[in-house]
Amino acid sequence: MTMETFDRLRSRITSIDSMPTIPVILRPLLRCLDQPVEQIDITRIVELISYDKTIAAQCVRMANSALFGRHKQVESVRTAVMNLGMWRVRDLLFSNSLSQVIPANRWIVDPTVFWRHSLGVALVCRKFAEILGYPDTEKAYLAGLLHDIGILVNSMVAPEEFRAAFSKATREQIALDEAERATMGFTHCDSGRVLAEAWKITPDLIQAIELHHDIGDPVRGGPLVAMVHLSDLLCRLRGLGYGYYEPRQVDFANERGWLYLVMQFPNLADLDLARFTFTLDEYAKEVEELVSTVFTR
Amino acid sequence: MPIDSTVLANERVPVDALTDPVWTRIRDLIYQVSGIYQAENKFHLLVRRCNVRMKAVGSRTPREYLDFLTERPNRDAEMRNLLNEITIGETCLFRSMPQVEALRKVVIPSLAEVKRKLSYTKLRFWSAGCSTGEESYTLAMIMLEESQKTLKGWTFEIMATDLNERSIAKAQEGIYNDYAVRNVPPDFKKKYFTQAGSNFRVADCVRPLVTFSRLNMLDDSKMLFMRGIDVIFCCNVLIYFDGKSKTRTVNHFYNALMTNGYFFLGQSESLYGITEKFHLVHFPGATAYWKPNEPVLKAGSA
Repeated sequence: MTMETFDRLRSRITSIDSMPTIPVILRPLLRCLDQPVEQIDITRIVELISYDKTIAAQCVRMANSALFGRHKQVESVRTAVMNLGMWRVRDLLFSNSLSQVIPANRWIVDPTVFWRHSLGVALVCRKFAEILGYPDTEKAYLAGLLHDIGILVNSMVAPEEFRAAFSKATREQIALDEAERATMGFTHCDSGRVLAEAWKITPDLIQAIELHHDIGDPVRGGPLVAMVHLSDLLCRLRGLGYGYYEPRQVDFANERGWLYLVMQFPNLADLDLARFTFTLDEYAKEVEELVSTVFTR
Repeated sequence: MPIDSTVLANERVPVDALTDPVWTRIRDLIYQVSGIYQAENKFHLLVRRCNVRMKAVGSRTPREYLDFLTERPNRDAEMRNLLNEITIGETCLFRSMPQVEALRKVVIPSLAEVKRKLSYTKLRFWSAGCSTGEESYTLAMIMLEESQKTLKGWTFEIMATDLNERSIAKAQEGIYNDYAVRNVPPDFKKKYFTQAGSNFRVADCVRPLVTFSRLNMLDDSKMLFMRGIDVIFCCNVLIYFDGKSKTRTVNHFYNALMTNGYFFLGQSESLYGITEKFHLVHFPGATAYWKPNEPVLKAGSA
């Protein structure tokens, strides 16, 4: 997309009243999380959670669920946070506050499918980062979680066109960005960039959102983009996609993103990719638990 | 026996029983020896299967069983028993729908495209370690369907081999119980089976499409004759082989395959550490090993 076309898209999106605004809780949360793990202020996080009764209740419910439930009933938000662990609480906060970005009746993609995919990509991306020795694994997680926020924009600002694009993708079993380009002239990657810029998300995350389908040749944006790209592909191939079959064959070891990462992190060449793929199925349970907590009202 | 796994499937494993870290060590040991991976979300199955073996050998705790599984003189025999237990009841028609879909929607179209350019309209399949024929007949039914749709005028050949003559005899009969046909899509069941008492018999239009024969995969002289295959299936067989035999057999499979051919293993089986000649390829919900034009060195190792 040329600069000129992108500028036109930006003014089209930002001039619309229904452009998603950043949830109240999200900006302080992002600020809070954008620092080393050991410096994260748990009291501040608990305070943020307590502002929102729905999220507070969900934390407590999840802490008491089969996955985490121990013998003693958890009743306070603080205990729930401690039991769940900082990162699961963060997942809950993100999924919940981002789900509120658009009203329930405006979703075009099933919101549970959307979150299953986003959380799946986040988990896989963090795992990739750990394997590679990428210094900021939580950044990788966040990039995975946010990579498809353009879908929220499209659902709000161009609902009819996006509905047609999504139905084309499902019907023809093609990648969503391909269907969007054909139907709308822009993709959720482009609109995701517009939203991320408006929300003042950090530049490396913006790149991951913008380039996760088309990473460029040579790869633009560095390892984060390549990790999100590969995690997205893997999730789509392991049952955490957008709920339709994409008949494709992927040779990861010869994917541009993979070859790029091998150059940067040579230890990737030794990864047992088959085993890594099988372990992805383990995430499904964690993803399900979170999605059902957020969407059981 | 399949019926056992129905009983096992109904037996609930308490959540706390899954948290013992020894299960992870047993899982890793199984992967190291056989290449079969049990994901954590399937641990309840692993625990059930181990519980059966623990009762049989008198181990009271997972730790005791791990010791039994790793100490001479019983370790090899017990690993074989455990693998038997793990793969029990896995044999049925249309066992892995993601593999079936990958074959129909990706593999066959892609092979056909290459072959059409060469004006060659034949596909050859090999079900290696076919046991009692479930996989081979599944393939035959899929190809029958395709030959009426996308592959009109094509011919195909399905070779099915096994070491065990009794299995082959049973395969040739083509009679299966309810449990073995539980995954067969209803329209396939209607078209390609006839009722035989409480069982199902593979229809006459399907059975001649598969050639069953006895073959020992460790017999090099016989394996050398297998050539020109497009797709090989060898599910849950190599898991019983030691490292050397596995490498030798996989090399035979590699040589037997045409360039661009595919090698399918069981759904959670891997060739890691066995060979690097194949490329691991992913399809939705399934993986396979693909034979490239030239054996390529691993990325980054050049």
